Amino acid sequence: MNARGLIRTACLALVVALLLTAGADPAWAQAGADGIREYGNFPVVGSRVAVWVAAQVHLMFAAFVLGVPMFAVVTEAIGIFGKDERYDRLSKEFTRLLLVAYSATALWGATLTFLLITLYPRFTIYLTAIFDVSIWFYVALFFFESATLYIYYYGWERWKKGGAKLFHWSLGILLNVWGTAVLFIANSWLSYMMSPPAEVTPDTAPAQVQFWSAFANATWMPINIHRLIANVVFGGAIVSAYAAFRFLSARDQEERAHYDWMGYVGNFIAIGALIVLPFAGYWLGREIYEYNQAMGITMMGGFMSWLWIIQAFLIGVLFLAGNYYLWVGMGRIPGAERFTPYTKWMLLVLIAGVIVWATPHTMIASREELAAMGGTHHPFLGVLGVMSAKNTAVNLMILTTFLSFMLYRRANKRPVVSWVKQGTIVQGMALGLAAAVVVFYGIYGYFVTAIVRIGFSVYQVLTVLAAMILVVVLDILMLRGAKARGAIRWGEMPARSQYVLIVLAVTFTWLMGLMGFARSGIRQHWHVWEVMRDTSQWAATPALGYAGIIISACVLIFLAIVSFVFWIGGLVEKPVFATARSSGESDSGLLPQVGGD
Amino acid sequence: MFATNLKIAIVVVLTLAAYTLLANMIPQIESEVPEEFNLSGEITAERLVAAGERIYNGAGGCTVCHGLGTRAPNLLRSEGNLGRIGARCDRRESGLDCKEYLFRSLTEPAGYVVEGYNPIMPDVRRILSEDQVWTLVAFLESLGGEVTVTADDLTRWDAGEQEEAATGTSGVSLSSTSDPLELMTELGCFACHQLGDLGNAIGPPLTDVGARREAEYIRESILRPRADISSGYETFAGMMPADFGDRVTAAQLEALVEFLAAQR
Repeated sequence: MNARGLIRTACLALVVALLLTAGADPAWAQAGADGIREYGNFPVVGSRVAVWVAAQVHLMFAAFVLGVPMFAVVTEAIGIFGKDERYDRLSKEFTRLLLVAYSATALWGATLTFLLITLYPRFTIYLTAIFDVSIWFYVALFFFESATLYIYYYGWERWKKGGAKLFHWSLGILLNVWGTAVLFIANSWLSYMMSPPAEVTPDTAPAQVQFWSAFANATWMPINIHRLIANVVFGGAIVSAYAAFRFLSARDQEERAHYDWMGYVGNFIAIGALIVLPFAGYWLGREIYEYNQAMGITMMGGFMSWLWIIQAFLIGVLFLAGNYYLWVGMGRIPGAERFTPYTKWMLLVLIAGVIVWATPHTMIASREELAAMGGTHHPFLGVLGVMSAKNTAVNLMILTTFLSFMLYRRANKRPVVSWVKQGTIVQGMALGLAAAVVVFYGIYGYFVTAIVRIGFSVYQVLTVLAAMILVVVLDILMLRGAKARGAIRWGEMPARSQYVLIVLAVTFTWLMGLMGFARSGIRQHWHVWEVMRDTSQWAATPALGYAGIIISACVLIFLAIVSFVFWIGGLVEKPVFATARSSGESDSGLLPQVGGD
Repeated sequence: MFATNLKIAIVVVLTLAAYTLLANMIPQIESEVPEEFNLSGEITAERLVAAGERIYNGAGGCTVCHGLGTRAPNLLRSEGNLGRIGARCDRRESGLDCKEYLFRSLTEPAGYVVEGYNPIMPDVRRILSEDQVWTLVAFLESLGGEVTVTADDLTRWDAGEQEEAATGTSGVSLSSTSDPLELMTELGCFACHQLGDLGNAIGPPLTDVGARREAEYIRESILRPRADISSGYETFAGMMPADFGDRVTAAQLEALVEFLAAQR
């Protein structure tokens, strides 16, 4: 039995044991009025925590196995069309991580399903009665996705050249199509729980619920888009953490150079996608408000209001750590030293942004607390904690991070086009103008009504996006045929930079758990918002401290299993490196050139 | 190798510990499930107020909007020199005493939106039982006023519910009028709909509804208001009561539909 088989058997045994334990004692069960059991009870931690952990860990693996194929197929394309075999090898290495992670995803998915059946039987019956057709499709897609993944990975060496390589790449695209369809179907179930169609009431029988209106409910598409982008971010972060782990345990400079480069690519993808994620999050939040204002207010100003302060802190860590990694990385790029004086100013903007973003405003407060503050808002926090200030801060942070990327990209290049000076001035003006527009609307927002102010955030976002697109397009044109100022010294990174990548991965994972709690928690004591009430002993939505402990536990479980996946990946990788070295493949470009670009 | 793995593990654990600590350092607020009010024992004003205060500060979710910012009137403080909610509630609507006004504004909030505020409040009966609503009324009355809610209010309501369960009719008394305009006034339609000079522009206007909609659609919208939300009014989906089918007779309904279909 191979390692994968062993994992599968062990986990199946665990699932069976859990099921037997959960269903064995009738004293744990709560019978419904019609004799159908409403709820089961899971020993020690309770039903809520059992389902919570299973769902969260399953989602973490699912995000990884859906995110990684997206950039595996992109890096493979870069390898094919850019004729750079390093990217092809990188793509294959990404995909290898998928194989074991895929099994773990399926196992945790099965665990979640069985726990739902045994612990929340009535709710599960209700949901399956509405979504049965989509569940069958989901299963079928899972088969297709599995088959495509195995053919994609194991056919890598067989379909390596010419037209066969293009066929292989199309398999990668197909893998993404299946994965996206699986994601969209699963999202319909959970988004229905949040935003069932308006005509569905507690008295509506599942058979009377129109399938498509339940499937394509109000928050379905915003969640689809948000999760698609977030999966890319998450996949990039975990891959860069893998690269960091391999970098730190590398035996020679060549191996270190490869994993330094891999970590850079993974982080580039993660931070690049993170920059656009807040826009998708804004859309989702707006749709929640549109669907039900009370739910939106509960999310942003109700018992969950402090959650956003934690989120701001975590995103602050992501922005600061991501930029720090880039700045440290510029140490291995000849020519980057000319940008070093700017980093302290960028750091200043980022820190100021984090402080403003993490400033609380509308908080649930007791009468004593209100009296102590001297009003409903603290005199300082009332000014900084409003959306005008926060939107301004986050847009400036995004612009600053984007500037870090552009400086990193430009560091090693000496443009040769004749209009380089004018182009650079236009780029600078675009970023400066975008910052000015963001600040202008930020200040103007204090002088208009709330409904007008909300519209300003759209102008701020569009300005920042337009500036980024313009700068990138100009940069691509400007750097055509650019000369290198010297070879990038891949592998010459201090160890602390790799620990930063690991902190980034842990933070992304924790943030994902926190946002999962937010999305699910705003339903409060409803399985399906205002349609099916949670009457179990676990119906209350816990406070953030308790949620933080559960989230940390989920992250630990996930990272422990991922470490195992990395270890398995290492078992395969070592012989590859040994083979490559012995056959001198590094000279042919299979391994990254030490000191090469 | 072992040292490297150990360092990585320490970095991971320390990062997680920091985030967990942060989550535990902030104020801990749990979203409670609305607890049922226990009718056993003597029902005193103090008991009602205490239960109502717990709901107000907890499961009712009232503090999310009332008392913070500009979303909703501040109930705990004086607004416009009228005193706190218990002192000003009997002056909000003519013909309604404080208790009646508070109960109606909690259960039919669309009809009692205070000028200057948006109609964002849901019918609290979606999350609270009738008894819990009465405890909330008692608490709000106690804020500057006299508590007039008694055990009779709770038991009267419970009796009404039992009667409803037995007869299949709503606890809301049926109107006897067959005049559509009178009926619409009694049903509170003008709280949200405009018809000529009457009413508020919260829901779709009824002035020319007959030109836009067939009679069948109008009938369906009265009986099942959530079935189709008019474009541009999605924000207010779910605000219109869905129990008109229980509150009017078939003849009244048809008179109403015919009247509205004729508005062109």
